[in-house]
Amino acid sequence: MPEPNLLVIGNGGAAIHALQAARASGHSGPLHLVSDMQGRAFNPMLSPYYLAGKILFDDCFPFGEGFYKKFDITCHLGSPVETLDSANKEVILKGGEKLPYDRCLVATGASPLLPPVPGLRTSNHLFTLRTAEDTILLHDALSETQSALILGASLVGVKVAEILVQRGIKVTIVDIAGQVLPHAAHPECAGILEAHFATKGVELHLSSNLERVEDHGSEAVFHFQGNKTIKADLCLVSTGVRPNLDFLNGSGVEIDQGIIVNHRMRTSVEGLYAAGDVSQGRNLLTGKEEVIGLWGNACYQGRTAGLNMAGQKTSYPGAVPDHISTLFGLTLVHLGNPMHQGNDVTILSNRDLSEGPYRLMAFDKGVLVGANLINGFESAGRLRKAMIRKLNWEEHFGPLTRVPSDQEIAQFLADVPDSLSIPSPPF
Amino acid sequence: MQIGFSFNVSRCSGCMACVVACQDENDLHGDGLNFRHVTRLEKGQFPAVSMSFLSLACQHCGDAPCMMVCPTGAIYKRDKDGIVDVHQEICVGCHSCALACPFGAPRYLENGKMSKCHFCVARVEDGREPACVRVCPTKALGFGSMDSLSRQKAEKASMFLLEPLMKVSGP
Ligand SMILES: Cc1cc2nc3c(=O)[nH]c(=O)nc-3n(C[C@H](O)[C@H](O)[C@H](O)COP(=O)(O)OP(=O)(O)OC[C@H]3O[C@@H](n4cnc5c(N)ncnc54)[C@H](O)[C@@H]3O)c2cc1C
Repeated sequence: MPEPNLLVIGNGGAAIHALQAARASGHSGPLHLVSDMQGRAFNPMLSPYYLAGKILFDDCFPFGEGFYKKFDITCHLGSPVETLDSANKEVILKGGEKLPYDRCLVATGASPLLPPVPGLRTSNHLFTLRTAEDTILLHDALSETQSALILGASLVGVKVAEILVQRGIKVTIVDIAGQVLPHAAHPECAGILEAHFATKGVELHLSSNLERVEDHGSEAVFHFQGNKTIKADLCLVSTGVRPNLDFLNGSGVEIDQGIIVNHRMRTSVEGLYAAGDVSQGRNLLTGKEEVIGLWGNACYQGRTAGLNMAGQKTSYPGAVPDHISTLFGLTLVHLGNPMHQGNDVTILSNRDLSEGPYRLMAFDKGVLVGANLINGFESAGRLRKAMIRKLNWEEHFGPLTRVPSDQEIAQFLADVPDSLSIPSPPF
Repeated sequence: MQIGFSFNVSRCSGCMACVVACQDENDLHGDGLNFRHVTRLEKGQFPAVSMSFLSLACQHCGDAPCMMVCPTGAIYKRDKDGIVDVHQEICVGCHSCALACPFGAPRYLENGKMSKCHFCVARVEDGREPACVRVCPTKALGFGSMDSLSRQKAEKASMFLLEPLMKVSGP
């Protein structure tokens, strides 16, 4: 039997790992890659380092020039897939070219979501940060920028805010939520961060509902509910992302927020796989399918898809939402759901920062379900392991009345039999 | 080939010589900047208590999660001996590896770059033992190829901690 014809849509982390894994596992048949963009695979999470002047633009493309040749990949670059015809097993590119497949991976990632605010989309001062092109546009605009409004106090928003402040730009962060990082930080943790950001010169407007944007020459005026207005030269919208899946209309594939995939990254349609930010895989904490838009998750999912498309039977159990980044000099860790609610939930924290790094831990019936750390990230990976394994802390410590110390965490996790193996071996 | 550490928990006295030798070998003078950690394990309630120690550094995992999540490709695995090491000039200091590592191995230098146990790669290339293994007075810490370690393990049932370690470190 001839080797199947594999086709990957997208040229990001998920796509690259799929192609690499398919070849490495012995697939000798055709490997096609289709991307709307020209050039090598771009890593969106590196753009802040470029904007901050820490790396070169070229360094945002971590997979070397030789990658496609080395793995014998046929590239179709510069034209987006406009339709996926799952019945005839072919994709149709802009311009009409048709490419057949036996097995196809959708790894098209996600794009910034723009809130439907009148005047926002058409403003000449609007910027987003996702693609290589976005990065260049924002970079080039910064030299002319004196004031910026960051719409959305998300991780991307706060990261960019820090870079702009370092460049001497006056920064205002606005969010409709009553706190910064509403999806990543417990309100108590957010409060600590807000106070810190303010000392760095950031102006915060929380619980602020943007109603309208008007361009006035070199600046834009942002009108908020309650007659508040803010002026800025530049506006970065960082209110979240939505998966790129418009071309799947009519394909019959099951979609919720993203494309629903199982532990082998298979979708509901035969021969069709999905991985990365476009997909909705298992959240190990909730047991439900959710979009978990993270670089590592995208790479693991891509690898799993590539191996299965090449005929291996491997599975990826899923991930927990997590994040680590340095924001205005503080290293923030987010694990699981620190805002978890319920009758059996205990939330513990050491609010007094003089006692060492800040740590907030949320337990449900003794099992860790969420955490925030500020600095003191050394225990982050171990806490993640405890969370994924659903270890019961109460069985070890008795009723939980205070946050365990670093030493106690190390002891607890070393004490558990076979705690020295990887928590979620991907395969 | 994959080399790995072996650890015999019944021999470790918690003397910390491995930690000090590691700091010395790697010029680690910063606050809390250790590649190797010794954890005290207490079991049971008085009077039936037992205490033991666990000396742990990077496990040079076969399928290393730190490497998988690294956004720049700075973390890599050497083909010839399976050592997981980091190209510091490529590291951007994003800390993703700190969150991915279930052992808490990654550490960060003052310049923000990740640094961790590299198996004293220069010593190993020279045919010598890693610094921690060399100084261990009770021979609790050992090292070698995974093949030879598992052979030794078959001979010494007391090395019960080795098994989980092998699961991780085996290629
Ligand atoms: C500023 C920023 C900071 C981030 N920081 C972190 C972080 O600290 N940690 C972390 O884990 N994650 C971070 N992320 C998220 C991380 O970058 C993503 O989760 C990851 O890149 C997803 O990879 P992917 O392959 O699924 O998608 P992408 O990298 O978005 O790749 C999608 C690919 O599909 C192509 N494509 C799209 N539509 C089509 C079409 N119709 N036809 C053909 N090709 C198409 C695109 O051009 C692209 O090549 C950050 C993201 C941003 C934007």
